[in-house]
Order: sequence, then structure tokens, then C-alpha cells
Amino acid sequence: MPRILTLLKTYPALVIVVALAIGFSVLSPHFASSGNIEAMLGANAVVMIAAVGMTVVFLAGGIDLSISTVISASAVISGLAMAATGSVALGAAVAVAVGLGFGALNGVLIGFFQLTPFITTMATQLIARGVAFVMSAGIAVKGTPFWMLDFGFVQWFGIPAVTVISLMIVGLAGVAMTQTTWGRQVMLVGSNVDAARFSGIHVPWVTFSVYLFSGALGGIAGFISIANLGNAIPGVGDTLLLIIIGAVVLGGTGMAGGEGSIGRTVLGVAILAILTNGLNLIGIPFYDQLIIQGVLIFIGTWMATRFGNRRDA
Amino acid sequence: MSVHSNPVVSVRGLSKSFVGKTVVSGVTFDLFAGEALALVGENGAGKSTTKNMLCGLLTPTTGTILVNGQTVPKVIGAEHGISAVHQELSLFGSLSVAENICISDLPGAKMRVDWAAAERIAQEQIAFLGIEIDARALVETLGAGKQQIVEIAKALLHASKVLILDEPTTSLTAVEREKLFVIIDKLKARGLAIVFISHFMEEIYRVCDSFVALRDGCQVGQGRLAEVSQRSLEEMMVGRTLEDARVNLAAPSQTPALEVRGLSSSDFKDINLTVHRGEILGIAGLMGAGRTEIAEAIFGLRAAVGEVRIDGKAVPRDVSAMMASGLCYVTEDRRKNGLFLNRPVRENLSAAHIAGFVQRKLRGFGFRGEKARAHDLVSDMNISVPHIENNVSDLSGGNQQKVMLGRWLATNPEILIFDEPTKGVDIGAKFDIHEKIAALAATGKAIIIVSSDLPELLHITHRMLVMRKGRIVGEFLRSDFDSVKIISLAASSNEGGQDAA
Ligand SMILES: Nc1ncnc2c1ncn2[C@@H]1O[C@H](COP(=O)(O)OP(=O)(O)OP(=O)(O)O)[C@@H](O)[C@H]1O
Ligand SMILES: [Mg+2]
Repeated sequence: MPRILTLLKTYPALVIVVALAIGFSVLSPHFASSGNIEAMLGANAVVMIAAVGMTVVFLAGGIDLSISTVISASAVISGLAMAATGSVALGAAVAVAVGLGFGALNGVLIGFFQLTPFITTMATQLIARGVAFVMSAGIAVKGTPFWMLDFGFVQWFGIPAVTVISLMIVGLAGVAMTQTTWGRQVMLVGSNVDAARFSGIHVPWVTFSVYLFSGALGGIAGFISIANLGNAIPGVGDTLLLIIIGAVVLGGTGMAGGEGSIGRTVLGVAILAILTNGLNLIGIPFYDQLIIQGVLIFIGTWMATRFGNRRDA
Repeated sequence: MSVHSNPVVSVRGLSKSFVGKTVVSGVTFDLFAGEALALVGENGAGKSTTKNMLCGLLTPTTGTILVNGQTVPKVIGAEHGISAVHQELSLFGSLSVAENICISDLPGAKMRVDWAAAERIAQEQIAFLGIEIDARALVETLGAGKQQIVEIAKALLHASKVLILDEPTTSLTAVEREKLFVIIDKLKARGLAIVFISHFMEEIYRVCDSFVALRDGCQVGQGRLAEVSQRSLEEMMVGRTLEDARVNLAAPSQTPALEVRGLSSSDFKDINLTVHRGEILGIAGLMGAGRTEIAEAIFGLRAAVGEVRIDGKAVPRDVSAMMASGLCYVTEDRRKNGLFLNRPVRENLSAAHIAGFVQRKLRGFGFRGEKARAHDLVSDMNISVPHIENNVSDLSGGNQQKVMLGRWLATNPEILIFDEPTKGVDIGAKFDIHEKIAALAATGKAIIIVSSDLPELLHITHRMLVMRKGRIVGEFLRSDFDSVKIISLAASSNEGGQDAA
């Protein structure tokens, strides 16, 4: 089969990304400017990191509804730790630890006690949201160290540092999913959990590890949100859940498990990022944007289905 | 064929290609009321694909289908009276028999389903088939034999002209098969045209009147079965002359490899068995006798009490511990708990022992050599696959079965439990698999085969256990194999049974 067709089957969302990018470049001269691209990348680092976690959970056939408010809780607790000690390193460690804690909770309940992922992570979502608001008294945590405030504007290799971090996470997760036994087992469990068990794969551990992983990424995303916004905001994750899930599904990773990849999610995040940014640039009012976004997402999923989610050779 | 009236359905030059690969080409035949046509061919010959075009699941790339002499642009099963029982069962386990049978056309007015009518319709269909099943029972509570009957009853509801049966006997025992054949005779008498797909030649001669033979998607022969010998039909399918299928079994050793002591659960009671190195032990019995349950319990997939010893040492009944001790279990239900359908053939082959399948410098990292090993296995097991990167769901039924076997043989096990190892594979492949099993035994591996295919067990085992209702009720050595005795022992209803023969 021609190369290009193979590429489209592997990354069905690619057409949409390219079409949107070309469309907005024509409509707005600013769209393709380096400043705008940088802004887009930086603004979407949090979503990107969380979407990677969600992708891995989806690939294993589960769902993590708590990832959005785990972002909030770890941001708040990390922000409090930094305000108290002034140590950014401690803040980062605390953020990851909080994420791991919530992830472990999900993982134990779903992996070992076999509770349903949807309900379990919904409950965790409530708890994490409660924790974020209780600990911050409902307002932004003050006292973020200066280094952290600067970090949102730091550039590494000419791109925002937060973007570099999110891309590193994308790369590592991609390698983990395609190059390790663990990644393969995640795919197989998602594809057919009974067959995985019959093949000697320890399904409870794999399931546990997947939620632990997404918890950790929720923690990192929470930490990055502080750099982006300047403060730890208790409601930072509240509106992100649908964007995260939407990006994963738009990219072409199915909710049924065993079908999709990290690479596809990058494209899914790109679609939503370009849409929001582009529509803003050409001056479409917010509520009109929603309608246009909805219609474009219809077209997008239709195209993704047309090109098929199958990876034929 | 001047004795015939007009054909009910005719197929002219039917072809199908997938992404440029032609898998069926130029198939032409006629179906007559009251007659059964056998569609024969090796695994991957294109039988199921032809069936799917005939019942409207696939659109032919080229060719025409005529119903009552009229060309139809696209077959609509319900409208044209053509319906199929597919190779893989397609029932909803958590729904009742009545719901399953009527699912595509529930009776009732507008928005309300008339459940009483649905039950009546279902019960009528089942009664016609002459089998006792309660229309209100949940399908998952029925054995495989009865599920197959429900599947047929469901297909019959819309099969006013043609009923296609794709390997309907693979999970049935001899008694259940005979019942099915009586049903098919009835359907023929009712004026239905039957298309029958099977790898069992005796069944084809028992059920069918004419045949169409396919090889690599091409029609290589057709005619009346009365005018062709079984041998020449087989040779037509494989395209070469066949030697006699005889396996040479080496004598087993006296060293026990696997010992099961007092294994009990809700499905079986007090199971004691021993397999020696180099021995092939068969387990015969009817559907629902508890054979699969025992195999799964030994491998640690099912709760039970009792002891399992490997090479004299007790092993905890846990899949990883069993695999580490060299045991493997090849499931009978490849779609449900065997295959990863939406993953490539390559990953399906390496799934049971990834680390041993690839070459690694770092623990848990990298898949170097996976492709090469998968290619080796594909050619070693003679699996016909478009490409190893195709999803395993693209393979024909028999080739999917070979993938299952290949996966476990790749783990280099010492003790192998095969549950219906040749389910859906063609005669040539069956012969190859039997030879492989015999060769494994000759190198000192211990083997257990659970099979509903008694001739297979008679052919390939040193010793046979007969099970009935969760108990071992008899044991036969190869020198005393007697199929009549074995069948009556498996089916008889008097409790207690005989002791070892
Ligand atoms: N979606 C697909 N893409 C590519 N190849 C396919 C696809 N579906 C089927 N094939 C190929 O078509 C060929 C014929 O398959 P088919 O299922 O008709 O065989 P069959 O005669 O029914 O074999 P069996 O006896 O094993 O059931 C096989 O080689 C199979 O790999
Ligand atoms: Mg078939």
C-alpha cells in the first residue's frame, strides 16, 4: 500500500491537523508566527501531559475521570509546600507524590478489587476536587516562589520549557508503550482482558500500574499549571476533563481498549489547540466559536472513521 | 442436471478483494430447493468469505447473485430469505433464548414488544428442530451444543430459501452432531436449500448432495458428491496427492510429569490423573462434562481445591507459577479468551512469553527479533496470513487456531494441555498438528488433549480418560480403544460408572 495511506491509517487525525493549520494560516497572518505557535504550545502543555495519561488508561480499556481534579489537588498541595518552604524541588516532588497517591487509590480499587473504572474514578474526582478546595480555602495559593513564576517564561532550545517537558513526557510515554513489555501488556489487556489472563499476564498489576501512571502525569500537569498561571488554582482542572478526553478520542484512540497510540493523542491535542487559537485569532466571538468547534469535531471524527482506525500493512 | 427445477439462488463469477489481495475469484454455482451444497477447501480458501457475500455481509468486488433468476444488486438476508449460521457464534449470553432468536425482528405493535409472542415464535422454532430448550432460559446457561441449536433457530427465522451453515459442528460431540444432521434433513425436506461448510469429510457425505471445491479463492471443482470419492475430493482441495495419515507414537516413559490429586470444584469432583513424560493423554466426554473446567483449574484460571504436582513438586495453582514450571494451556474458545482480535498477528504470537520471544539487552525493553520470530512461526505452523502486521481478526478461522497453537509452542513448554487443538483446521493442517504433537511427545513432553472429536483422540493418544458430569468414569489404554464403549460410557446416565478398564 502507498506510504501516505499507511500514514493516514496510523494517524487518521493528521488530515484534520494539516487542513486546520493551512486554513488558519490563510485566514490570519499571525497564526503561523513563531510567537503564536509558542503561545499555543505553552498553553496546552497541561492538557498534553494529562492526555498522555488518559491515553494509556484508554489503551488498557479503562477511563480516568479523576485526572482533571488530581491536577488541581496536586497543584494546590504543591503550591502550599512551596509557599511554606520556598523550595521548588520539594514542590515538584509533592505534586508527583499527590498524583501517585490518587493514582494508587484508583489502581488498587480497579485493579485488585475490580471496581468499575467509571464509578471509581468519578468518586476519586470528587475527593480530589474537595481536597483542592478545602486545602486552599477555595482561592489561589499565594506565595509561589519567584523561580517558579519565571519558569513559565523560560525557554530551552528556543521553545518554552514547559513545552519541552511535555514533549519529553510524550516521548518517554511513546517509548514505554511501543518498546517495553509493560506497554505491550497494557495493549493486550485493553484488547482482550480474558485472553491476557489466559496468556499469563498479571492483569491486576497492569491495571494498577496504568492508573498509577496517569495519576503521576496528573501530578506533573498540576505542577506545570502553577508555572503557567503563576499560582496554584484549586479549580484549574475543573474544565479540563472533556478537553482531555476529547483530544484522546479525536486523535483516534478508542475507548474500548487496545486501539490507538500516544502519537495519535498528540494530533488530537493539536486539533483542539489549533481550533481554539485560530478562531480567537480571526476574531470569532466565544459562543460562536463553540458552535464552529462542535461542527468541526463532527467532521473530524467522520474523517477519522472514514480513514479507518485499523493499522493494515 | 436436468432433473432439477430452477435454482433458487445462483452465483455467477463472484470475486472479493481486500486491499488489493483477491481472496475469492470467479466462484459460480447454483442452489436448489431441498438440496445441500458442500463448500469445501483448506483454511483460508475463501469459504467464509463466499458465505458472507451470499448472505449480504460483504459486497462482492465483482460478480452477480441471482435470486429466483433475478439479479439482485445487493443481498439483503431478511428480504431474500438467505440466512447464515456463522463460524463464530454471535449470541448474546445475557439475553434469553427468545430474545436472541427474535432479536432482528421483535414482534409487537409500534413501540411495544410483544414478549409473549416472541417466546411463542422462539418455542415454535425450537420445537420444529426437535430439541428441548426453554425459550426463557438465558443463553449463557446453555451448553455449546444447545447454543448452536439456538443459533440455527435464529437463522431459520429468516431463511425462507437458503440456510448457510459455516462449520456448525466444531464444538459438538458425535451425539450432538447426529442430532444436527437429522435437523438438516428435515430442513431439506421442508424445501430449503442448504450450504454446508465443514472440514469433516464424513459429515459432508452424510449431509450434502453436491459440492464446490475452492483452493486459494479459485473454484477448482464442482459436481455431485455421489460421483466423487472422498480421496479425490480431498486431493482437489489441497491440489496434490495425499499420503495416508498415520502418526507414529513413540512409547511413553514411566516418569510422571503432571500429577493431579483430589481436584474438586463446583463443576467437577475428586479428579485424579497423571501424565507421564512422552505420553499423550486424551480426555473424552460430552459437552458440559467438565473437561475444560478441569484444564482451566489445573492451569490456575479457576477456583478449585486439590493438589497439582509437576515433576513431583507441588506447584501453587496460579498461571505464572504454572507457566514457570513449564505448563501451558491452549484454550478451546479462541475468540473469547485466546486471541487479541484488534492486535496484529505478530503480537498475538509473542503474547504468552514476550521476553523469551525477542532478543534483549535490557530487561523489559525492546522488541528486536520479534518480526523475524513471528515470520518463522508463521511458516513453521503454515499459517496463511496476508501479512504479520494484519490484525488477527483478518485471518480465516483455521488460521486463527494455528496462531493460538503457535503462541504456546513458542514458549517451549514441557507439559501441554490442548483444549480442542484442531477446532476449525483443515485436514492437511490437522495432520500436521497431529504430527507436531506426536513429535513433541517423542522428545519427552507430556501432553493432555481434550477433544470432542473422538476419531482424533483415538488417532493420537496413548491413553484416554472418559468424563461424565464432572467425574472421571473410565480409562482406556490405546490397545483397548473402543469407540462404541467410550461413547456409551460418556453418555450413559447410570451414576457411579466403571473403574479403570
Ligand atoms: N479483512 C481482510 N483483510 C485481508 N484479508 C482478509 C480479510 N478477511 C479475510 N481475509 C483473507 O481471506 C482469505 C479467505 O478467508 P476465509 O475466512 O474466507 O477462509 P475460509 O475458507 O473460511 O477458511 P477456514 O476454513 O479457516 O475458516 C484468508 O486468507 C484471509 O486471510
Ligand atoms: Mg471460515
